[in-house]
Order: sequence, then C-alpha cells, then structure tokens
Amino acid sequence: MAFLELTNIRKQFGQAVAVEDFNLKVDRGEFVSFLGPSGCGKTTTLRMIAGFEIPTVGRVAVDNVDITDKAPNQRNVGMVFQSYALFPNMTVAQNIGFGLRIRRESESAIKERVDEMLALIHLEQKGPSYPSQLSGGQQQRVALARALAIRPQVLLLDEPLSALDAKIRVSLRAEIRAIQRKLGITAIYVTHDQEEALSISDRIVVMSQGHMEQVGTPFEIYNFPQTAFVASFVGTLNTTTAEVVDSARGVLQIDGARLETAEKLDGRQKGDKVTIAIRPERFSFASEQKKANVVDCRIENITFLGSIVRIQVSIGSGKYYMDTFNNPFLELPKIGDKDQVTCSREAVLVLKS
Amino acid sequence: MAQATQNQIRANSSQRSLVIRNLVAWAGVVPFLVFVILFLFWPASSLITGSFQNQSGAFTLQNIIDLFTPSIMNAYMLSIQISIVTAIGGGIFGFMLAYAVIQGGLPRWVRTALTTFSGVASNFAGVPLAFAFIATLGHTGFLTALFADKLGIDIYNLGFNLYNFWGLALTYMYFQFPLMVLIMAPALDGLREEWREASENLGASSYQYWRYVALPILWPSLLGSTILLFGNAFGAYATAYALTRTLNVVTVLIGDQISGNVLFNPNLGYALAFGMIVIMAVSIGLYTWLQRRTARWLQ
Ligand SMILES: Nc1ncnc2c1ncn2[C@@H]1O[C@H](COP(=O)(O)OP(=O)(O)O)[C@@H](O)[C@H]1O
Ligand SMILES: [Mg+2]
Repeated sequence: MAFLELTNIRKQFGQAVAVEDFNLKVDRGEFVSFLGPSGCGKTTTLRMIAGFEIPTVGRVAVDNVDITDKAPNQRNVGMVFQSYALFPNMTVAQNIGFGLRIRRESESAIKERVDEMLALIHLEQKGPSYPSQLSGGQQQRVALARALAIRPQVLLLDEPLSALDAKIRVSLRAEIRAIQRKLGITAIYVTHDQEEALSISDRIVVMSQGHMEQVGTPFEIYNFPQTAFVASFVGTLNTTTAEVVDSARGVLQIDGARLETAEKLDGRQKGDKVTIAIRPERFSFASEQKKANVVDCRIENITFLGSIVRIQVSIGSGKYYMDTFNNPFLELPKIGDKDQVTCSREAVLVLKS
Repeated sequence: MAQATQNQIRANSSQRSLVIRNLVAWAGVVPFLVFVILFLFWPASSLITGSFQNQSGAFTLQNIIDLFTPSIMNAYMLSIQISIVTAIGGGIFGFMLAYAVIQGGLPRWVRTALTTFSGVASNFAGVPLAFAFIATLGHTGFLTALFADKLGIDIYNLGFNLYNFWGLALTYMYFQFPLMVLIMAPALDGLREEWREASENLGASSYQYWRYVALPILWPSLLGSTILLFGNAFGAYATAYALTRTLNVVTVLIGDQISGNVLFNPNLGYALAFGMIVIMAVSIGLYTWLQRRTARWLQ
C-alpha cells in the first residue's frame, strides 16, 4: 500500500485548470520529483499536499488517512520554500524549534531536537545567529532542519535550490538527498531543472500544462522518454519525423536514409509518419563495416563541452547532434567532411504522438 | 630605480585622486548640512538660548521655573494625554485599515483610493479641519442635526461634546489614522505570505502566527509610527486653537505668548517649546531603547 496517495486530482482557479488527472502513489521513504517547465502545476500540486490549496476534485491520503480537507496546521507535512521563509525575528535555534514550541514540547526536548537538527545540517555553531547573518545555502539548510524537526510524515520541497549559486546547488542537493536517505523520510521535490531531478530522485513525474507526461525512474525517463515533450525536456535529444517503411521489421526512413528501430511499430502502416528520438551519445562514427543504421552525413559543427565533444552532423536536410567523450588522442573530423554515422536499433526511440 | 620612481608617482597621483573623490563625496552632503544648520540647529539653538533669557536678553532661569506653574503643567499633561490617546487610537484604527486593504484580499483600487485619501487627510489639519468638524458634529452640525431629526437622538444629551477632550481627540484622529495607514502600508507589504504559510505548516494557528511571527516582525514599525503619531499630535496647534478655547494644549500657550496681545512673553514661549523638545527627546529615547531590546534581529 502506498504511503502518499494522490487520486484523480484536479485543481481549477476560476476557469483555468492548473492540474488535472493527477494520480500518484508514493512509497514510504521514496524520493519523488515533480519536473516540468514553469507554470505546469508543480507548486499547485505540492500545495495541495501541504493543504494550502484544496483540490477541486480528487483525494489526498497519507498513510491511508484521507487529509484532503484538513487545514495545513492539522497535517503533519513539512515544507521547504524556495525563498527559505525563515522567520527573521527568530534565531536559527528558535526557527528550528518553532514547530515543537507550537506542539508544547518541553524546553529540554526542544533543545535536544534542535541540537540534533543543527548537527544534521552541520551548523552546530549557528544556533544563536539570526537568519540575516547566514548565507543563502545555510538559510536553506536551516529551513530544511525546521521542516524536519517536527518529524513530518512527508517532506515537501518547492524548488529549494533555485535561489542559490550553481556550486552550492550541486553540493546542497547531494546533502538533501543524503539527509532524506538517512531519515528514511518520504519526500516530494519540485524542480524545473532536469539535471537536478535526474540526479536526486528515485522517481520523476514529468509534468506539462497541468498533467503528468510520464512517471518513471531517472533511468527510464532519460533512456525511454515516451512523449515528445519528455524527450525534449529531459536532456539533449535529436527528434525528427520519420516515415514507416516496414512496420513488422521496424524499418523507417528519414531524409532518404534508412533507420531500423527495435521498438514495436504495431498498428502503423507503411507510409505513416512517426516521431523518433535519438540521444546524441548513442550516435557514433561508423568505422567498421556495419550493415544496419549506417547513414551518410556531413560534419557541420564541433563544440567542446568539457568532458564531451558535441558534433553537429547533417543527414539529408536534417541536423543532428552527436556526443563523444573527450580525450586528448581523439581524432576529430573537420567541418565540411563527409562521413558515416551509426546507432544501434535500440537507440531509435519511437515517441507517442 | 626608474621603476621605483614611477611607482612613487603612481602612488602620489592615486592619493590625489582619492582626495578628489573624497571631496566629491563630501560635496554631495553639503546641501543636507546647509539645510540642517539653517532649519534645525539654528532655530533650535536660538530657541534654547531664548529660553534662558529675559525680555532684555539677560540670562535667567525664571522662564524654566515658570513652566512648573499649575496651568502650564496642566497644559503639558493635556498635550501628552491627547497625543497618547490619539496615537494609540489612530494607530490601531489606521493599522487595521491598512491591514484590511493590503492583506485582506480587497480589490486593488480600494488600496489606491485609501492611500490617496490618507495622503490628503493626513495633511488636513488646522483651522479647516476644526471648522469641518464644527460643521459636522458641532451643536448645530450636520450630523448632530441628522441624528436629532431622523433618529430622535440628541448626541450632546448622550454625553458627546465636540469641545471637550474626547471631541478634540476625535478631531485629531482624523489626521492621525491616515498617517498610520501611510506608514504601515509598506511595512505590511513587507510581511511575506510564506511566513504565514511556514508557520501554519509547522502547526501554528492564526493567533500563534500573529503572536510569534507577524507582530514581532511589525513591532519596530508599529513602535516607530506610534512615536511619530505622538509627535504629530503633540505639535498640532491650529486644530486645537480653532476648535476650542477651553482646552489649552502647550502649543496654544506658546501661541499666546508669542503672538498674543495680553500675555506677550516670547521668552516664556521659547521655554515652553524647549519643554516640548525635552519631552520629544525623552520619548524618542524611550523608543530607541525599546526597539533595541525587542528587535535584536534588526541589528
Ligand atoms: N492562486 C492562484 N490563482 C490563480 N491561478 C493560479 C494560482 N496559483 C497558480 N495558478 C496558475 O496555475 C498554473 C500552475 O501554477 P504553478 O503550480 O505555480 O506552476 P509551477 O510551480 O509548475 O511553475 C499557472 O498557470 C498559474 O498561473
Ligand atoms: Mg512553482
């Protein structure tokens, strides 16, 4: 039985639909990210779990208890805001202890828990400081400790890192994940950053325009995007329209070149158009005499991206990216060269719609 | 060697540019200094010296001693009382109004309208204000008559009197609460919605949010604006003067001594004003002390 369950959720603001057909089951201790562009309904969904928004339709349940109509202060759900939202008039220790003070726990119990939380976020010395005396990263760690201090059933994080510098973002996300693992707490993490979602999550819910596009592990989302939206939103991807040549054997045609796919083309007729996607790293130069999926191309551009080199090639009139690992002994082609590229049948993904 | 000389030259010229930059920075402050000297220090110092001089210009403590006569002490008491009452009353009313408009989810135009009204009303004081109130709530005022005719209620029989302490306080309130609205609006804007949500999320009720978060955060502004309202009422002159001749606030006494025909003694007037400065200084001191004690997070 799932620990957190969102059933058939729909949320309207007036006539505008912010979220619809949202169904999700999250296991205890799981780390799930909501990933999607700004305005796709991530925050609204999160706020329905916290109780700041009431779903127009649908139910929210935690540990088999329906909390759909409970007030936010009657739920046991911790929230971390993008803007930290620390109380400026309280010290770090008072901020972390606030929820416990509201719950009328004893002074000694509060102190013990606050010290424990300060140790967890490695800010043992900062208890007496005020939020304004801390860096952004430290403030967000305090906000995390404050949310965790009340031992919430579910931890919600709404783009907690987007106000921070790139370097701190990366280290803090690892820290958040480590803390979540250590405590075994169920977490929902909202982000618009695909790299962040891929690196931190057990599962990702990719959202677009208020609905779920795909739910899956980072591995599944990256390697097997099911829709054109997911394909384009997560990672760099070459997408193009192909024509079905032989649906039984998975033969397609793009710009005069033949490509074979390992995916089923059930129900597709010869001559049908389908959208296919190929990750740049799945392409390579066709050195040996391979038969299938070898296509002629022309080198258009070469870009160094540090650990990888991104080569743009044209196949017919279409342009595609191809990534290869950088190494000092790499023999790079020259712009304008004619060459041949290849990819495995499994690399050719056929997208829904 | 040549290198050293060049460095020396560079150091000199950079020193010179530093001096110039400092001069330029100071030049910007000059208008402010001139203003402060001309309109603050100079009048204040002449006022203070005047308090310690008799009419022929010799040093005396008589003016200060005269401040402790019962009628003058009563005037100070009255001024302080009316200032406290209208600062707190106008403060509470103005705060609630500002809160309703800013955080209460009212349409945007209500706020614009209230701010515009407050801008005007907070400056609507003196003789016109007094006459407006006399015309509305005086013995034969418009509202007084309306109550009598339509409802059969004689508000003066019920104990209302525009010309006593509470009548004057009511009149002062008319310029006090709009000032509060104007000062508190930005402070309330600064009250972030996430703080309420964070506190709710941690289990706090609305009361607990106000008690532990919102009021402590607003406290410095509340304290500051109350002291400003206090000063605003304390220094008001023409409203009291035009409304009633039986309630002698300090400013009315000063007016009598400086421009009156009967009681002309400008030096006593200076001493009265000096006393007001002392009272304002004490209240600002009190304010600063309270602020330091209660809002350590601001430092
Ligand atoms: N309180 C609200 N009133 C009206 N519309 C809202 C409100 N909150 C969110 N929306 C709308 O709902 C949609 C989803 O918003 P949101 O959940 O904040 O997106 P995200 O967090 O993915 O950027 C947006 O179109 C937004 O304008
Ligand atoms: Mg959002």
